[in-house]
Amino acid sequence: MTATTLPEAALGVLPRADGSARYSHAGYTVTASVNGPIEAQRRDEHAYEAHIDVIVRPAAGVGGTRERHLESILQSSLAQIILVKNFPRSLIQIVLQVEDSPENDYVNTKLVQASLNFAIMPALMQTAVLALLSAAVPMRATATATAVAIMHQDGAKQTVVDPHPRDIEKAQSVHVLAFTSHDELLLAESEGDFTVKEWDNVYETARGICCRSPPQAKEGMAMLLDDESTGGPDMRQFLRSTMGFKVAADLHWK
Amino acid sequence: MTAPMISLPAPIFAKISPHPFLVRNLTRSSTAEHPPCRTNGRATQEFRPVRINAASLSHAHGSALVRLGDTTVICGVRGELLPVEHIPQFRPVDKEQLRQKGEDGGDGGDGIGRGELRDYDLLVPNIELATGSAPQFLPGVPPITLAQTLSTRVYSLLHSTGLVEARDLRVWYSPKEQKRGEDTEMGVAGDGREEDMDEDEERLVAYWVLYIDLLFISYDGNPFDAAWAAVVAALRDTGLPLARWDPDREMVVCSKTERRALNVRGLPVACSAAVFMEKEHSESGAGPGDSGHWLLLDPDRLEESLCKEVITMVVDCSDGETRIKSIEKQGGTLLGRELIRGYAGIAERRWKEVRRAME
Repeated sequence: MTATTLPEAALGVLPRADGSARYSHAGYTVTASVNGPIEAQRRDEHAYEAHIDVIVRPAAGVGGTRERHLESILQSSLAQIILVKNFPRSLIQIVLQVEDSPENDYVNTKLVQASLNFAIMPALMQTAVLALLSAAVPMRATATATAVAIMHQDGAKQTVVDPHPRDIEKAQSVHVLAFTSHDELLLAESEGDFTVKEWDNVYETARGICCRSPPQAKEGMAMLLDDESTGGPDMRQFLRSTMGFKVAADLHWK
Repeated sequence: MTAPMISLPAPIFAKISPHPFLVRNLTRSSTAEHPPCRTNGRATQEFRPVRINAASLSHAHGSALVRLGDTTVICGVRGELLPVEHIPQFRPVDKEQLRQKGEDGGDGGDGIGRGELRDYDLLVPNIELATGSAPQFLPGVPPITLAQTLSTRVYSLLHSTGLVEARDLRVWYSPKEQKRGEDTEMGVAGDGREEDMDEDEERLVAYWVLYIDLLFISYDGNPFDAAWAAVVAALRDTGLPLARWDPDREMVVCSKTERRALNVRGLPVACSAAVFMEKEHSESGAGPGDSGHWLLLDPDRLEESLCKEVITMVVDCSDGETRIKSIEKQGGTLLGRELIRGYAGIAERRWKEVRRAME
């Protein structure tokens, strides 16, 4: 089942932080705050670049090894798109609080789960990028991410975008891909059982969602057809329009 | 020019400016006897030989020591019995039902088997980076991010590959077999004695929990490949004692002598590489192709500290076809679609090497 809801986002939801964003999509709601550049602690200080500190707080309980892993993935990805060289010896702190996550009613919910959570990665990534934009942290590019699962249904392989936790449990393989706004592959995490060819198809699907070229480039009829063929939300357009609305609202007084 | 020539011995050069040191080595003009290579003497696409020594611990149910150059990791697997009455929210498993589903035959990939492993936490990996295995690991601190990340990755991969099957970990109690009573044919007894069925039915009494402990004795880069090879080798070596329910004492007792080897499905092998950029402080990805980069397979500690973009691919070719079990690529934008596709071939090569070492 594909989540039919479109992503929603609000910028500047936390009044005291330098930048903040709330993002919800596919059952996940994440709030992020960004503070920076601020003074780094001695042990984190780097002579040539800013230290990126990512903190992930789960919806329930305290963070465990899984959250540490998510943090390290986000940290290394975000350090690539933030212009860290512009802020030597400083710190940019990104705190991500998961507010809501979809429940899988079929299993006993455990508070501490050690295995990787693929479905939440795109939401965390998108929220972090939105919050960074809201904090006006200089970036080389923005990033968009999506999760894709390959499932066996009725004897045929099916590609599911933004899979539900129940789908992930049954899926043959799960993939998370993130692209920068220059169409470069920033992050690729996959798990399950698949071939190079299947991964290629997943790459195409994810790219269609994350890096769709703006619709103005195409003429009316072609655009309609294109929308039908690719399906799924257009993440880059979403990011652009969210920022557009925010800027328009901020400049309303003029 | 009057600039004084300072000549430094290689170790000091490496210490004070590691990045130029590695660049110099990689771009050195090629001669017949000294082709350009990394600081550790390997070519860029060369792995360290892997050496695996199974069953090196006498008190564990299975163990393996893996050496990957100077990275040494030891893995011990120990089984502990978990009686089902100690499991909160335990859902009884029916053996007949399992048989019908074919899960007993082992191909219950996404069925009940994996759910049990996950729900009851039957696989518990833990990774410890010993103090002194590398200079950056300090004594007396809580587990660092690297250790936590590694154990999450091992845990996740253990479950997603389905390496261990739940049926190997179940301990059944079948009154009929133990009584060795009058009726040896279970089928006959089925209909006629419906009332006694509750007593005579096979029931699940306990699970084996596998504690998979990894200790890095020496750390010189590429921890995940070494750790994963150690886990697989140790599980292949694991034999659990035969366990049965003793109705008189109402507990599970284990055989002292008899052991049953664990069924390990497939042979997934991890293969890691790091991308080394020629320019140390350039804006990475300011445009592709603006500066040189190398894909360094099986990076050591020095190389790991200089590289940001890393890729790990786990492949299994034991069925003849190359199946990818996991891809983890992060920290950069140089590895695109083509490179990742090509990387599958490199991982395949690594798989053959590791399989040879396992056997």
